Amino acid sequence: MIAYKFLNTGGRGVFTRFSWPLPDGGPGEWVDARIVPCRSGIHACRLSDLPLWVGREMYEIELDGEVLDEPTKVVASRGRLLRRVTSWDGDARDAYTRMCADRAHELAASVSPPLDEWDAVVEPSVPEGPALLGFVAARIAEELSCAGGYRTERGRQTEWLVERLGLTPA
Amino acid sequence: MTPADAEQRLTGTASSEAKLVARLRAGDEQAFAELIDSYHGTMLAVARNYVNTRAVAEEVVQEAWLGVIKGLDRFQGRSSLKTWILRILVNTAMTRGGQEARSIPFSSLAREDEAEPAVEPDRFRRPDGAFPGHWAAYPANWGALPEDRVFGRETLGVMQEAIEALPTPQRVVITLRDVQGCSPEEVCDALDVSDGNQRVLLHRARSRVRAALERHFDG
Amino acid sequence: MAESADHVSCQEVVELVTDYLEGALPGDRTALFEQHLNFCEGCVWYVDELRTTVSRLGEIREEHVPPDTRERLLRAFRDWNRS
Repeated sequence: MIAYKFLNTGGRGVFTRFSWPLPDGGPGEWVDARIVPCRSGIHACRLSDLPLWVGREMYEIELDGEVLDEPTKVVASRGRLLRRVTSWDGDARDAYTRMCADRAHELAASVSPPLDEWDAVVEPSVPEGPALLGFVAARIAEELSCAGGYRTERGRQTEWLVERLGLTPA
Repeated sequence: MTPADAEQRLTGTASSEAKLVARLRAGDEQAFAELIDSYHGTMLAVARNYVNTRAVAEEVVQEAWLGVIKGLDRFQGRSSLKTWILRILVNTAMTRGGQEARSIPFSSLAREDEAEPAVEPDRFRRPDGAFPGHWAAYPANWGALPEDRVFGRETLGVMQEAIEALPTPQRVVITLRDVQGCSPEEVCDALDVSDGNQRVLLHRARSRVRAALERHFDG
Repeated sequence: MAESADHVSCQEVVELVTDYLEGALPGDRTALFEQHLNFCEGCVWYVDELRTTVSRLGEIREEHVPPDTRERLLRAFRDWNRS
C-alpha cells in the first residue's frame, strides 16, 4: 500500500533517528523491520493521520509485508520511500500553520463569551510551526464541542493538506 | 577488567552460567574471582542503601559473599546467578539494616494512588484555564547549556546527593537499574516486587534526580 | 490533568515518560505520547533530559574491588572448598 511518512531534515526518523535510504531518481532501498505493535515496525500515515504527525520533510512510502491498521497510523514490516512530496515545502508549511492559526481564532470567537484565554495562546505559538498549530486549533474545537470536535477539526486539516499538496485520496 | 566486561563474560547465555556454576562448585578460584569482579560493586551500592555507613555496607557485602559460598551447592538455577546473589545480599542487608533502623520493608512500596508528581503542578497551566496541563513555561533546555556543565564530573556529585536523599525503595531501584545497569527482571527478582512497582519507583526516582539536576543547572 | 482519547497533556507526558522509555506504555498511549512530542518542544527537552540523567547515572558505577577485600574473599572460597 502507499502511505506517507514525515521525517526530520535529511531523512532522519523523528523518534528513532533512523537514517532512511532516500529516493534518488528511483525509490529508496527497502527497509525491513520486525513488527512489535507500537514498539517497532515501519510507521506511516494514511491521509487521515497526516495532521497528527506533520513534520519537516514528507515522503510517499510503499509498505509491504504485514501491514497493521492502527487508530492513528499504519505499521508495516517493510517499507521504502518512493519520492519526496516536494509540494510540502516551506511555503506550504507556513500556509498550513497560518490556516490553523486563523481557524483557531475563528473557533475561539465562535462562542459567547469568546474563549479569550485560549485565543491568546494562538499567535505566540505560530513560530513553533504546523504540528503545534494543528493541535491548538483541534484542542479549541474539542473545548467547544467535546471529543468529537477534536477529530472533526483534524478532518478539516486533512482535507486542506490533501488539496494543497495534491495528494490522491485512496 | 571493568565489572561490565566481567559481567559480559559471565552472563552470555544460560549454558555458560551453568558452566560457571559447575566451575564454582569444583572450587575453581578463577571463576570466583570473576564473580567478585562482576558483582561486588553492585552489591556494595545496594547494601549502601540499607545501612548507614560505607564500612557497614562493606561488612554486609562480605557477609553476603560468605552466604553465596556456603549456598553454592544449594543453587538450583531457578533464577539467574546474579539474581540469586542479589537476593542473598538484600536479605543480609535487611537483617543488618534492621539493627540500624534505616531499611523500609519493600511491602510498603510505591502505590500508584499516592500522588507524587514528577514535576510540580504549578509548572503547568491551570486545570480550569486554557490548555490545561500544558507547560506554563517550558523547562530549561539543557541542550543550550555549555556541554561541560551537563556532562562534567560535578554533575555526578549532584546526582549522588539526589540519590542519597531519596526514600529507600526508590534509592535501591534507581541504583540497581540506572547506576548498576541491572535489568527490570533482575530488580523484580532480587527485591521481590512486581514489574509495575519497580517501574513506579524508578519513575519517581528518575524524576527527582532530574529535578535536582535542573535546580543545579539553574543555580 | 484532563484525560482524553485524542491527546495527552505535558503534565501527563512527564508521568508517562518512564513507561515510554521502558517500552511499557500501551500502544494507543504510545501513539498519543509521540504525537505530543511531535508538536511540543518543551516535552522533547524534558524527555531528552531524562535520557541524559539515566545515561549519566551509569557513570557513577564503582569500578574496582579493593585488592585486600578481593584477597580475603578468595581465601574464604579456598577454605570453604577444602573443608
